[in-house]
Amino acid sequence: MSETTPKPVAKDPRRRKGGADSDERIELVPTLRRLLSYVVHRRARFILVIVLLITSVLLSALLPYLMGRAVDLIGARGDLDELARIALTITGAAALYWICAWQSNRNIQFLAQDALFRLRTELFDHIQTLSLNFYDRQPIGEIMSRATNDIDTIDNFFSRGLNQLLTATMTIVVIVTVMFILNVTLAVITLVTMPIMLGVALFMGRIAGPAFAQLQAKLSDANGFMEEALAGNKTILAYGQQRQSGDSLEDLSVGVRDTGAKAMLAALSVTPIVNVAQNSQQAIIALVGSIMAIQGEFGFGTVLTFITYSGQLQSPVQQLGQIYNTILQAAAGAARVFAILDEGPTVQDAPRAQDLQLKGGHVVFTDVDFSYVKGRKILRGNSFEALPGQKIGLCGPTGAGKSTIINILTRYYDVDSGTITIDGQNIATLSQASLRQQIGAVLQEAFLFSDTVMNNLKYAREGATDEECIAAAKEANAHDFIMQLPQGYDTMLTERGANLSQGQRQMLTIARAMVANPKMLILDEATSNVDTRTEKLIQEGLLRLMEGKTSFVIAHRLSTIRDSARILAIKDGVIVEQGTHEELMAHKGLYYDLYMTQFRVRPEAATG
Amino acid sequence: MRYVVQPLEGVLLLRKQPIGDSMYKNFRRLLVIYKGARGPFIVSQTFLAFSVLLNLAIVALNGTLVNDGVQQGNIEVVISTAVWMIGLTLIQTIFALGNSLYAVLFAEGTANFLRVGTYRKIQTLSFGNLDRFRTSDLLVRLTSDINNVKQAVLYGILLLFQAPFMIVMAVAMAIFLLPSLLWLMIVIMVVVSVVLFFLLRGVQQMFVARQQALDGVNNVLQEALAGVRVVKAFVRERFEMQRFAKVSNTWLDAALSPAYRMALFVPSLQLIVYTGTAALYYFGGQGVFGGTTNLGEIVVFSNVLSMVVGPMAMLAFIIPFLESGEASCGRVFEILDEEAEIQDRSTAKPVDVSNIKGRIVFENASFGYRDRAGKTTGLVLEKINLTIEPGQTIGFLGATGSGKSTLVNLIPRFYDVLEGKVTIDGINVCDLPQRQLHQIVGMALQESVLFSGTVRANILFSRPDLDDDEIVAAAQAADADSFVSRIPEQYDAPVSRRGTNFSGGQRQRLAIARALASRPPIVILDDSTSALDMATEARVQEAVQGLMSSSTKLYVAQRISTVLTADKIVLLEHGRQVAVGTHAELIQTSPLYREIYESQLGKLDEQPERIASPLAGQSMGGTA
Ligand SMILES: Nc1ncnc2c1ncn2[C@@H]1O[C@H](COP(=O)(O)OP(=O)(O)OP(=O)(O)O)[C@@H](O)[C@H]1O
Ligand SMILES: Nc1ncnc2c1ncn2[C@@H]1O[C@H](COP(=O)(O)OP(=O)(O)OP(=O)(O)O)[C@@H](O)[C@H]1O
Ligand SMILES: [Mg+2]
Ligand SMILES: [Mg+2]
Repeated sequence: MSETTPKPVAKDPRRRKGGADSDERIELVPTLRRLLSYVVHRRARFILVIVLLITSVLLSALLPYLMGRAVDLIGARGDLDELARIALTITGAAALYWICAWQSNRNIQFLAQDALFRLRTELFDHIQTLSLNFYDRQPIGEIMSRATNDIDTIDNFFSRGLNQLLTATMTIVVIVTVMFILNVTLAVITLVTMPIMLGVALFMGRIAGPAFAQLQAKLSDANGFMEEALAGNKTILAYGQQRQSGDSLEDLSVGVRDTGAKAMLAALSVTPIVNVAQNSQQAIIALVGSIMAIQGEFGFGTVLTFITYSGQLQSPVQQLGQIYNTILQAAAGAARVFAILDEGPTVQDAPRAQDLQLKGGHVVFTDVDFSYVKGRKILRGNSFEALPGQKIGLCGPTGAGKSTIINILTRYYDVDSGTITIDGQNIATLSQASLRQQIGAVLQEAFLFSDTVMNNLKYAREGATDEECIAAAKEANAHDFIMQLPQGYDTMLTERGANLSQGQRQMLTIARAMVANPKMLILDEATSNVDTRTEKLIQEGLLRLMEGKTSFVIAHRLSTIRDSARILAIKDGVIVEQGTHEELMAHKGLYYDLYMTQFRVRPEAATG
Repeated sequence: MRYVVQPLEGVLLLRKQPIGDSMYKNFRRLLVIYKGARGPFIVSQTFLAFSVLLNLAIVALNGTLVNDGVQQGNIEVVISTAVWMIGLTLIQTIFALGNSLYAVLFAEGTANFLRVGTYRKIQTLSFGNLDRFRTSDLLVRLTSDINNVKQAVLYGILLLFQAPFMIVMAVAMAIFLLPSLLWLMIVIMVVVSVVLFFLLRGVQQMFVARQQALDGVNNVLQEALAGVRVVKAFVRERFEMQRFAKVSNTWLDAALSPAYRMALFVPSLQLIVYTGTAALYYFGGQGVFGGTTNLGEIVVFSNVLSMVVGPMAMLAFIIPFLESGEASCGRVFEILDEEAEIQDRSTAKPVDVSNIKGRIVFENASFGYRDRAGKTTGLVLEKINLTIEPGQTIGFLGATGSGKSTLVNLIPRFYDVLEGKVTIDGINVCDLPQRQLHQIVGMALQESVLFSGTVRANILFSRPDLDDDEIVAAAQAADADSFVSRIPEQYDAPVSRRGTNFSGGQRQRLAIARALASRPPIVILDDSTSALDMATEARVQEAVQGLMSSSTKLYVAQRISTVLTADKIVLLEHGRQVAVGTHAELIQTSPLYREIYESQLGKLDEQPERIASPLAGQSMGGTA
């Protein structure tokens, strides 16, 4: 594959600037502290685990002692009953140890999974509160990567690392304490290699830490790419771009591989190096200890004991080395999860947001300016009024800003300047939920969930009954085709409703809005993919639904909005004309032109 | 990392390996990909073996240090042994590092191989297969499952062979050094095996269940994100949160059950070892008192036993990885084993795309979609007979769900007909290689999906080699140039996922430009102007006629005005073709066509002069 081949799903240049993305240095300690707060959350369990762990560490210190006694006894040719007693004690202690270790493991697993559950759910809940603006910027595959790949690294740490970390630390503390009690000089010598080990670990961490952060970012890039490509795979197939798409993924995947290898190598090399330090330590104790023993500082027995202890330190210290890489990785993942958790919604409810009191539905736009991207005004100085119960038609060339007007009316985005009021209440002071609950919208893009037809309809309103849904489907003229589906209302839709025709999807979204039975209605190209005969049938239902309610209808098929009380013709973000059909036709402006084009048929073509 | 074979080739290799229902069957199947990697693998395991042997030597030296050095107060022995120990340790480190290096390269290489291979495999699937898979399920397999396989490979190579190796060494030592207590060793081994057997039973299914629960989590996540506008429109954030909490909770349970099982692992093994030691002291003590054994033997035995503990703990550490890796590997294979519904026939002959004229013939073509089980649920198209001459413009009309999209999807062979056939220039589309077929047919699907990247990359989608003039020409024909040229970044303007930062009509126009860019001999626009205003649509149509004059053009449309000028209009109703002809013919012969016409442009007999002078009447508005 050549470097010049553009990617089928090319990199979005804005992606890197995304607020939640960070390749920067991770603050290890604060991140970990925040992470651990999820585990410590269940205090009683956590304390139980600590107690169980301490018991099992103490028991595993007691067991060698008992074994030593047994050996001594055998060496001294002691009493067989005594020996039997010791053997039984060992068995008993071992059984107790088994229970403690098992239960602490089990409880740690619970704490870990429970913590992950909460982190995951918190992340999801938080994402739900974010505004559309966040979704415009953050590819959803990358958000998913945070909820899965990044949380996975934390899982690794919690469910494997945490246990080892606690056990190893406690073992080390116990042994080191005993060593210091026995002989301070030798204890210090034993620990002399510690700084070396720490140094190595920190040095490798300097390499591995950022590499892990990079790895998580690359994984997320790959995930973002794959999510988008897989969701749009039919388009890739239609253009025969399968190979190129595979090549692009391979590029990303190779990046993941190389970064992953770098990070893992740096992290894994800690273990053998810690090993060197450990083994050298024993040699040094033997050497220094023997020399001191010869000089009469202490007996050779003490040196032996210290060698044994040093041996016992070996495996926990090694484990710490291994855990270190788990921690680095988890910190990298956690930083990315926290970045989203720390992101606030751009559209926020005011501190004392009121609920919308919708009486008649008197909507007033005053001098509204709006831009999606700073500096690129989409709407400019728009003012209009919708009287209660009026049907307002919006038309204009594509990209004029019709959907945008709807987006700001339901506060998906906040206006730059100007005000929008509904029955005298400024929508900026209202709660978003109350606003959207009372204003039903059929959006331009028909989105359905991969669930049954019935559940898709019920989505509109909590507690909607089957009967209500079926009635709505009938109103939207969807009932007939639904009944022809293999399992009727119980037919499973595939992703986005891909096993329906486009027009059928639109009919379902209309039925869904009918189930909601809102007090105000917005139809954004709701029937654009429906043929005109079917549309006529739907219109009847819609008319009944809209009766007495203020409604906004966007349509290119002007027949759909002809009967509106007021028609707004929008061009380049400005409402250039408003009035009734007759007024605008007489005006002979934009609307007139739009209206006339549908009849502008070249005679020669019409006849053959 | 060259030694891992090329992904696609490797996937083919994987497919050829029928392996029965045996232990770690998926991993064994995966081993094929290491075909060219035997050398490096042997090197890595040799490194491992040396590292283990050196470790044993160091342990032995430790014994010398204690027994001959410190205990005897022999400082010379202490010094020489200590120096040896440090030296050997350094060498051992090098071997261990070497093994790590290989393990990491193997593991990351395998993950990359599987990721790319699986992804490429998905790219070979057809519409029919894609209808059955959910994006989120595929994603889990491409990420989490492959990660599980990677970890299994990593720890497998790092540690797997170390454990049996050390256990064998220990047993060998036991045989040589402890003839009288050998039975005890055997008893311990048997107990360990039995316990392992019971602990591991069913664990793999638990891991499979865990991954399936993860599918569920990912699905809710993906849909809630992709459908965020709907969620917000109906204020169902709370509902989504509950839904997520539910699947998340299922995952919690599914993750806990293998975790709880594994929590038993290490403690149980240690219990066996400790109990074994207790037995050793009792029976061994008896032996010593009775004179059949000596203390030395007992000490050696307990050393050997503790030598076994290490590798067993190691086994306990890696077995969960292996089990979950095996489970995940199986899930990845599910995709690799999926048969593409549509494949190039062996008889498919490449043609010269530039020589294709674009004559399309449907002969008795019938079609029905398959359900999840693969059964055809009923005919969506019945006995379509249609001849389209090169360069003609054809319009397809019909009610929602009448089968228009389905019909045009048969031409580029997105689905195969059940009966009859579809030919292009007399060649059955099934006898054309798909790659070429997709070059011949430029299609704007009804759902216009743009990809994140730039406007340019999206228009260039099918032909990256086009120059700027051609891009602009295509964009102009689709009337996209008018708005693109007003964006400051012009053709380098960013597009976000699915093109959500463009308006519906802008998206459609970009999708049309994409279909036109490569100037294919056949262009299909499936309701691609539904979001355009009339004026824009008229402009687009005119420009397309100009740019693509020699191509065969197929328009699926709802608006009469879109198809009015077509050479032939095909009217579909319930999957049957009910009328074919020009506007002038159909208006006379087809009552259905007349009805559609009148529903849009008003009653014909009331306004007979309209067609000739369309701007004449004010009363010809829609009836809605
Ligand atoms: N999320 C977004 N981010 C940035 N720009 C956007 C976004 N959505 C729309 N735009 C831009 O805002 C302008 C108005 O778009 P809008 O969707 O309101 O058009 P519209 O009138 O509804 O057109 P159509 O009839 O094609 O649906 C367009 O130029 C579009 O590119
Ligand atoms: N992938 C699919 N799996 C199963 N059934 C499908 C699938 N796609 C379409 N159908 C069904 O086949 C029938 C014809 O659908 P098709 O998309 O061809 O209609 P259409 O004429 O294009 O309609 P529209 O004008 O709404 O786009 C419909 O009843 C639809 O429900
Ligand atoms: Mg719009
Ligand atoms: Mg269609």
